[in-house]
Amino acid sequence: MLTNRYQGLWNVLKILAITLAVSTGLILACGASPFEAYALFVRGIFGSFSSFAEIFVKACPLILTSLGCAIAFRTGFFNIGAEGQFYVGAMATTIVALYLPDVPGFIRIALALVAGFLCGGLWALLAAFFKARFNISEIIVTIMLNYIAINFLGYAVRTFLMDPAGNVPQSAKIAVEAQLPNLINSTRFHAGIVIAVFCVLVVWFLIEKTTVGYELKAVGLNQRAAACNGISVMKNIILSAFLSGGLAALAGGIEVLAIQKKLMESISANCGYTAVLIALIAGNNPLAVLAVAILYAAMQIGANSMQRQLGVPSAIVNIIIGAVVLLILGKELLSSQRKKQADVQCN
Amino acid sequence: MPILEMKDICKSFSGVYANDHISLSAEKGKISALLGENGAGKTTLVNILFGIYTADCGQILWRGKPVNFSSPKDAIDAGIGMVQQHFSLVQKMTVLDNIILNLSGNRFFLDRAAAEKRIVHLAEKYGLRINPKARVCDLSVGEQQRVEILKALFRDVELLILDEPTGVLTPQETAHFFEVLRNLKNEGYAIIIITHRMSEIMAISDQVTILRDGKKIIDLVTAQTNPSELSRYMIGRELKENYEIASSAAGGDLLILDQVSLNRKGKTHPLHDISLHVRRGEILGVAGVEGNGQKELAEVITGIQKGYSGSVFLDGRCTNKESVRKRYENGVAYISDDRHRDSLVTDMNLTENLMLREYCCEPYSRSGIINPKAMLLNANRMMDEYQIRASGKSGAATAVKLMSGGNQQKLIIARELTVDAKLIVASQPTRGLDIGATEFVRNLLVSQRNEGKGVLLISADLEEIMALSDRIAVMFGGRIAGILNREDATVEKIGLLMGGVTGKEVEQPC
Amino acid sequence: MLNQILSIGFITAFLSAAVRLAVPLMYAGLGETISEKTGILNIGMEGVMLSGAFFSFAGAWFSGSLLIGVLCGMLGGALITTVHSVFTIKLAKDQSVTGLAINMVVLGLTSFLFKLMSTGQSYQQINTLQTFPIPLLSRFPVVGEVFFNRDILTYVLYLLLIALFVFYKRTNIGLSFASIGENPRAAASAGVPVHRYQWIAMLFNGLLGGIGGAYLVLVQLGVFTENMTSGRGYIALATVILGRYTPFGMFGAALLFGAANAMQIRLQTIGVSISPFLLAILPYAITLVAMLTAIGKTTQPDSLGKPYIKGSR
Repeated sequence: MLTNRYQGLWNVLKILAITLAVSTGLILACGASPFEAYALFVRGIFGSFSSFAEIFVKACPLILTSLGCAIAFRTGFFNIGAEGQFYVGAMATTIVALYLPDVPGFIRIALALVAGFLCGGLWALLAAFFKARFNISEIIVTIMLNYIAINFLGYAVRTFLMDPAGNVPQSAKIAVEAQLPNLINSTRFHAGIVIAVFCVLVVWFLIEKTTVGYELKAVGLNQRAAACNGISVMKNIILSAFLSGGLAALAGGIEVLAIQKKLMESISANCGYTAVLIALIAGNNPLAVLAVAILYAAMQIGANSMQRQLGVPSAIVNIIIGAVVLLILGKELLSSQRKKQADVQCN
Repeated sequence: MPILEMKDICKSFSGVYANDHISLSAEKGKISALLGENGAGKTTLVNILFGIYTADCGQILWRGKPVNFSSPKDAIDAGIGMVQQHFSLVQKMTVLDNIILNLSGNRFFLDRAAAEKRIVHLAEKYGLRINPKARVCDLSVGEQQRVEILKALFRDVELLILDEPTGVLTPQETAHFFEVLRNLKNEGYAIIIITHRMSEIMAISDQVTILRDGKKIIDLVTAQTNPSELSRYMIGRELKENYEIASSAAGGDLLILDQVSLNRKGKTHPLHDISLHVRRGEILGVAGVEGNGQKELAEVITGIQKGYSGSVFLDGRCTNKESVRKRYENGVAYISDDRHRDSLVTDMNLTENLMLREYCCEPYSRSGIINPKAMLLNANRMMDEYQIRASGKSGAATAVKLMSGGNQQKLIIARELTVDAKLIVASQPTRGLDIGATEFVRNLLVSQRNEGKGVLLISADLEEIMALSDRIAVMFGGRIAGILNREDATVEKIGLLMGGVTGKEVEQPC
Repeated sequence: MLNQILSIGFITAFLSAAVRLAVPLMYAGLGETISEKTGILNIGMEGVMLSGAFFSFAGAWFSGSLLIGVLCGMLGGALITTVHSVFTIKLAKDQSVTGLAINMVVLGLTSFLFKLMSTGQSYQQINTLQTFPIPLLSRFPVVGEVFFNRDILTYVLYLLLIALFVFYKRTNIGLSFASIGENPRAAASAGVPVHRYQWIAMLFNGLLGGIGGAYLVLVQLGVFTENMTSGRGYIALATVILGRYTPFGMFGAALLFGAANAMQIRLQTIGVSISPFLLAILPYAITLVAMLTAIGKTTQPDSLGKPYIKGSR
């Protein structure tokens, strides 16, 4: 008889096997050879130093947004608004970075990112307020707020934030002193990645080692019991929402300061929604989030390589991550031991 | 001939007999009452009849023929209707729509006009005033109950079962409800009414069947009995155990409730002008059938339930504005009756659950940083002191959901009964526990009392109340029906109070 | 400029565009209304529409028939909701997580399959559905042109709206369906087969959402592009809320979103300076306000989003 620990491991292996089977099937459907494809996949990731470094570049926004989602989900606040919070952060960061020219570079970066964090946190707080006060589901509210934020950005880069020097919907370029520096030549590995990893550690510490983390955990697992024992549920939901939005916004700010160096539309590459799935797969654990986000980024790079050389569409990555979440969700379908339908009349 | 005969019905859940060879019959034009304490088996019995459960053995004869209903719909189609304690109404729909919902005789396009006519006719005939076009959410609880009754009548039932129908009604509504029942009875309906209220039984029923611990005790003709006899049969045992109760060394008032009232809202029961006090070094037992406001009482005292009128005083200080945490810090400990919902986070482990109250205090944390060593030390000490056993080898790191009920309760007690605790609110503290754990808990409460703490013991277990309490309050209908001293308390008196019979009514049985 | 805006020609063209842009939302909103009234919140509507769009294109392209295209679109949508139902009805899992995961899978799958289809070829457009006027009704000033000079799918939509309105208001089954979303236990005790009806509702959700996606291809664009739904599925969720969970309310709400969309394009053509993006924000903001005002007298089905487990109390 399998113990609980082995059962969990067995399930993971089953999911991996199925995932591998699905991707192999998809590769075959393209008329490509799976061996070639996987070889290209691996080479795409590890083949060159710059492509390896690119994993972390791609992972950076995912890490932060997923981290934010993880905190929110832990407390029972289902934040789907990472996308909008990302853009709010990007906007706020751009504004501060562009309009504080007399402040020394390092401080300007810090202020810009903090501004982004605060604004994103407030944006998420809006949805939390709806929930705490009026008990309105945060799922729809955060999705609505996403569109408001995205459209507002579209408005902003065509009006008050538009680069006067050009005619394109984007902001003026951010001065070099205010950009997040590149850390490794010949790659795009930037300081923002360090910030992201630092955030993971901070969040981990917060959740595991502090009373704040303890409260968030209790509220997320049993709201009523937490309240009956004197823990303030509203305070914790609001805090987790604020942190969640702030982190997603930080991702946006870093994307602007490190990669794009200006504000424009569609810089999130849908990572807000991917982040939700990453957080779910990682079981809302900060360190696992780091691992899964990096894995996903690596998958993206490998898949790009497969697409370039073999024509296997890189969209395969979306299929895989969605399928993994569904497999985890429906693990009863996998296991041969179905829970016997207990005589429901004996309740 | 009786229209319904249930013979030797047995039903067990997980090896425990909820119904042990129970026989019951009902006749047209008569009202039968089914009386018993919590857990006597009344609801199980009617649920078997109504098709929600299947009996393990026994026979049901309906209109002389053996039947076996597998769903409520079957029972309804056969002519048996039930009004349950928790209504099955769609709040946002109208009365009319609720009544005709999925009715067998409905055509594809609903004929609401015809249905409305019939409803109004039925309503007038039996005195069930209702507006068919009103939305259920806009109705009072009493009116909603009328809708439930009309639902059954509309379906041409011949037997109507009512489970604790007057628990949700005001006295005026109750009187009116009795009128309705009399009309129905005169029209030839057979009625079974489940209740623990003596006045109801004496006022309305023709015969009474008393259940206790899953067995039928006796059938009585109402006209030939009285509340005292009923109460005796209902509770009916000599209480054996005796605990070490030092003679009353009670000190000054610790907890005072002054005219505390709570309005009904959703699922909460109302409280009406509750005034009581608990002294230091005393156990005040609160007896009563569940659902008469006990939970609300506990939550008002501990601060979980806000929005009440009146005042709660602890140690002379008014605590109305104090939060749950503040009250705990001032000495209010709480052992809830629903430990999985209210007291424990079952996905956390033993150590973490022990910390739910004190995690933010020294030595368990300092400036927000948790001190796991201190927590572990405390956990091990508690496990020793209170003999908390965690299944498996993880010890203090065992997930609480894996622990037995008794050990979970010990965990809660270990957590709540700190040195600073002054008042212990214990609600159904031994429910679901084995004998060893039960003994442990009861002895603990007594020792706390002996040390000078105040204990408010809420329990549906009369044995427990009588054995442990210095004084006994009985709750009924959101009020304190009476308070007795230990010496004056007899099973009979308490039973009567539990059934809502106060001094006056005992003299006038009808 | 104001003269320009207020001219009949402009208004008619604008409203006509509004309706045209709103039809996919309306189909999806209709499907979503049906499922939400049985208590299932289908966040995966985005995936349903995208699937409908892709399969309708593939069907029309390979068969040459637009009818086959529509049917394929419907099947594509129904396929997605069947998967959704397995997780949310049979396994009683969280509806939002299921929906989001499905959206991601469909996004990947449709992009994947489309790329496979198009290796080497550049697509010509398929012929789109033509419009035709309804004889008498299209003569009305403005309204006639706007509502009654459309394609067949739009007319079918009108019929469906009326049918659904009647269904919920006047039929026995409709009442049973609606009761499930409010109080599944009460419905079950009245003998309503809760899970079976939920499956049926989700089936229609998929079929109609699939048509909504197909409309984007077969009527509006003539081609499939990756992620072409761009959030319309989520907007459909908003229209249901704004429309207070009634078919005609949803119709009006969808029209509002369509109008905002149409306004974007129209205003640009006459050089007006109100930013189309600010206009685009308007419907979302209105939805949020509507949700706020809905408290106290909320119209949301009481049991929306909660999985129903048979027999539990």
